[in-house]
Amino acid sequence: MRNKVQIIYKGPWAYWVGAVVLAILNMIVLIVREMPWGITTNIEAWSVWLGSNMGLLHDEGITFKQLMLSDGTYLNMGVILGAFWGTLAASQARFRHMKNRKFVISALIGGLLMGYGARIASGCNIGLVLNGIASSSLSGWLFTIAVFIGVWLGSKILLRFLL
Amino acid sequence: MEKKALTSQWKLNLGFSFFILMLIVLLLQVSIQLTLLFAVSLALGFTLQKSRFCFTSAFRDPLLVGYTTLTEALILLLAISIPGFAIVSNVAGILHLPLSLYVTPFGIHTFVGGILFGIGMVMAGGCASGILMRIGEGFAMQMIAFAGLMIGAILGKYSLPYWRANFGEAPGIFLPDIIGWLPAVVLQLLILFFLWKVTRWWKRKLNGVG
Amino acid sequence: MARHQIDIWGEMCPIPIIKTQRQLKLMCCGDVLIMETDHSCTSRAIVVWAREQGHEIDEKEVANGIWRLELIKRHN
Repeated sequence: MRNKVQIIYKGPWAYWVGAVVLAILNMIVLIVREMPWGITTNIEAWSVWLGSNMGLLHDEGITFKQLMLSDGTYLNMGVILGAFWGTLAASQARFRHMKNRKFVISALIGGLLMGYGARIASGCNIGLVLNGIASSSLSGWLFTIAVFIGVWLGSKILLRFLL
Repeated sequence: MEKKALTSQWKLNLGFSFFILMLIVLLLQVSIQLTLLFAVSLALGFTLQKSRFCFTSAFRDPLLVGYTTLTEALILLLAISIPGFAIVSNVAGILHLPLSLYVTPFGIHTFVGGILFGIGMVMAGGCASGILMRIGEGFAMQMIAFAGLMIGAILGKYSLPYWRANFGEAPGIFLPDIIGWLPAVVLQLLILFFLWKVTRWWKRKLNGVG
Repeated sequence: MARHQIDIWGEMCPIPIIKTQRQLKLMCCGDVLIMETDHSCTSRAIVVWAREQGHEIDEKEVANGIWRLELIKRHN
């Protein structure tokens, strides 16, 4: 019995349990927000605000107050804080270093490509793969096929340079 | 290696829980909707961390290491979400509530974006939600990837008009508009079932050989 | 009954499994492979993968957020 309680806060849950819980929570987001869960739209707004405040971009008229009142901010922050809470609850919180310089470059390039790709396709894995397909939209399926091809190319790069 | 001890972090946890509680109380003064969303997304982050659900792994591992458990979980997630979204959307339509699904216009840039996104998420070790979840877990690598994500988002925002102007784009196609709700849901579930069969076949093939 | 060890410390997700697969090819039946990682996804993925493949694996948390995996190769 104690083991079963422990697995709830300590993990790991089976993957299918995670899938069911995520599906339910995703639907709650849809009901409360009146539109599906998305991540990168908000990240774009924040980075444009940051860029224009640093004087790198011309002002797009995004104010700090507007950002703090947008629901995407709380969705993104909640995922970060919730994951941190999860690690704390399991007593697994620590700062995790990476192995060497190669990974810094890989992470930076990967993030850059991901941000660019997500914004020109107007959605990320959550916005287009999960919610696009769940909304029965054709662009979700197209994006999924493209991501699959991209992952295949990315795996080649990974095997070539990182291993 | 034995000097590393397994200590409980309940004090930190208590402090952090108090901080979250204060944030929720503060947010309640502003808007109930935002508070609810914040609470749900906390649960989302917790679930992502506890079940180690990783979209990147679902796409990548069948090809790279022949490991399909997460792909099957992703197909299950989609198979629950499609009828779920259909029900929510229809109920909202009957009750005349405002509710919009995510139907975006598409074009060449959707496809190119997807390919770049796929390459990026393998290199950064996580997709957008995976990066957020791993920042919470304390990975240095994903914090750097997040900086890259922000720069990339700016670049993407300013180059989207160029893509639209040069390659054009088709208006979003919402499958239920063309073939009706029930056939659309059934069709997509059939596609998912087919994909699930393909993953099972792929797994058997790899395990049979290796 | 040799004991092998590979260094997967601080590496991101797919690399540890690929390294494990390559190391397993070099090992004989009954050999033990020891790994240590601080990546929860990696440790979970290796455990599920190894059980699927029919190897014996033992996951133990040795410090906060650090897992030690002991894999015993069961077949070729």
